[in-house]
Amino acid sequence: MSERSVSVGDETSDETTTAFDLRRIGLYATMLGLVVFYLLPIESGLVTSIKTSEALINTQPFAPPGPAGVTLEKWQFAFDTLWSGMINSMLFTIPATLLCAVLGSMAAYGLTLVDWRGQVAVFALFIAGIFIPYQAVIVPLTQFWSQYAMLEMRLGLLLSARSATLLELIITHTAYGIPICTLLFRSQYKTMSWEMIEAARLDGATVWRIYKRIVLPLSIPMFAVVFIFQFTQIWNEFLFSLTIIGSVSDPAASATLILSGLGEALEGVDYPLRMAGAFITALPTLVVYLLFADEFAEGVEV
Amino acid sequence: MAHTKLDTVTKVFTEDDGSEIIAVDEVSIDIDDGEFLVLVGPSGCGKSTTLRMIAGLESITSGTISLDDRVINNIPAKDRDIAMVFQSYALYPHMTVRENMSFGLEESTDMGDDEIRTRVEETAEMMGIERLLERKPGELSGGQQQRVALGRSIVRDPAVFLMDEPLSNLDAKLRSSMRTELQRIQDELGVTTVYVTHDQTEAMTMGDRIAILDGGVLQQVATPLECYHRPENQFVAGFIGDPSMNFFDMRLEGERLAGEGFEYPLSSDITGKLDDSPVVLGIRPEDIELIDGTGGDHEYAAEVLVVEPMGNENNVHLRIGDTRFIATVNGMRRITEGETVTIRLPEKAIHVFDRETGEALHNRRLDEELAEPPV
Repeated sequence: MSERSVSVGDETSDETTTAFDLRRIGLYATMLGLVVFYLLPIESGLVTSIKTSEALINTQPFAPPGPAGVTLEKWQFAFDTLWSGMINSMLFTIPATLLCAVLGSMAAYGLTLVDWRGQVAVFALFIAGIFIPYQAVIVPLTQFWSQYAMLEMRLGLLLSARSATLLELIITHTAYGIPICTLLFRSQYKTMSWEMIEAARLDGATVWRIYKRIVLPLSIPMFAVVFIFQFTQIWNEFLFSLTIIGSVSDPAASATLILSGLGEALEGVDYPLRMAGAFITALPTLVVYLLFADEFAEGVEV
Repeated sequence: MAHTKLDTVTKVFTEDDGSEIIAVDEVSIDIDDGEFLVLVGPSGCGKSTTLRMIAGLESITSGTISLDDRVINNIPAKDRDIAMVFQSYALYPHMTVRENMSFGLEESTDMGDDEIRTRVEETAEMMGIERLLERKPGELSGGQQQRVALGRSIVRDPAVFLMDEPLSNLDAKLRSSMRTELQRIQDELGVTTVYVTHDQTEAMTMGDRIAILDGGVLQQVATPLECYHRPENQFVAGFIGDPSMNFFDMRLEGERLAGEGFEYPLSSDITGKLDDSPVVLGIRPEDIELIDGTGGDHEYAAEVLVVEPMGNENNVHLRIGDTRFIATVNGMRRITEGETVTIRLPEKAIHVFDRETGEALHNRRLDEELAEPPV
């Protein structure tokens, strides 16, 4: 490249290098912009959550407070308030996520790798289930639980009011999550070798044994995807909590429900408290991501 | 081990739009105990569907399949005591070779762990894969996977082996050595085997008998040499043998066959089998002789178009007028493209087929020691 006067070919290649450099600069600038765009709110939230009320007024939202303006009091308070909600949320999110994944996987297996009549019609029903808007089911759902199912009354001897509400949430979230989980598993099962399933059949395995010994072990990466997706979905869900639980003071109140009222007062919104609360509530989903990160990556590849 | 019988087996697929496709049309084959039967035919001829019906992976539209006189039409695949080797090997990717091979025994028998272990190890040794037992299929080469797939079906000691183009994913060299090995194993075990392939070389070399299918219809079931020398129709004649048989469209005119560019005198024992409907004259490339001089009854001058040297022999593409055909001659003989040679089409080697039905009207004469007793 040093003897650039020698040939025309060199000059053109030099031009392309320049254009290439410009493209690179553009790319990095855009990426940097995106990093700032995504991280700034998080950073602002974090610094806000450790500010005292005074520091909050005196500093920019994204600027860190001075040494005098730092307090962990809001985190402490948010944690104390949210703790019971976090437990409740865990109690219905984990079982509902597991049930969604297991039932979704089984349904997908039955709809994809087992041959029977009317599969398409049943699958169409599952797909339709994905598109039913939450808003449309709230009223019938609350009526169903409060007027028809009445778990609290019927199972009153076995369950406390809190457990009954949690059970309602587990069932509701499971029912609502199965269609999308089925779709996710089905997309993987459709790529599974049909000959392999047939080989297992000829090896003498029943439909159930094929699922247990072949299909299930091969869908572990997809389980990670579904766990993360469904856990986040159910953990963050608000509308069902609002309608089925009803009140923040209910012993079964979920984390999102408590969070909605956190830091609201007549004298104004307590932003540091809200931020601290938001971070605490988001923590479990983050942990789930980290736990299943490897399997998730593998599952997304499929 | 079992005597397997297919009696007028038919498979009709119904498409979504209601139209029906006959994939297998009234196929009847009697497979003897311990026999190696090769189902061969071009793609889409129904050979795989036939195999899948025997396996129980496909329902039977009509007809019966029986194992030792027991009709198995309605017995589910898992209870048929049949093992199958798939083209894609279909190994369980999350299991080790040992687990792959144990799976069938665990699922279909009540053998104890020790017995399973012993059997798997014995079979692995026989297949030469004993050192791969703890590996997973993803870590094996194609040839090794093939052996595992075979081992997995052998270990179960089934009544019937089914193989669906098991060698087609291997490279040419490995394929021919596996061919020999498969035959050796089948011989040793003596298990009835049905082997599907589209490769006529595999069919010729491996089968005790071969069944040729075309368009779902069984064309002929016979020993490889019988199919080669006494094809029942033009399809079989053209399908078996490589390069395939040369065909010339002819018509009987008195004592001779007349075609485009040349005439072929016939002796009376052949003309007696023919009438004046259009026929096809067939002759295998290796039966065409290159000779010196000209003038005989079945001798013609032909132009050499292309010479394909194979080493031991040459495939010579020839032309008489507009009729093109292939002759296989000794590899040591020098032939140049463009030269004119004299060929002889010996009368004892010719086949005559009905042009309408394809039915063989006359097959070549064989010397006594070559001729096989009729099956």
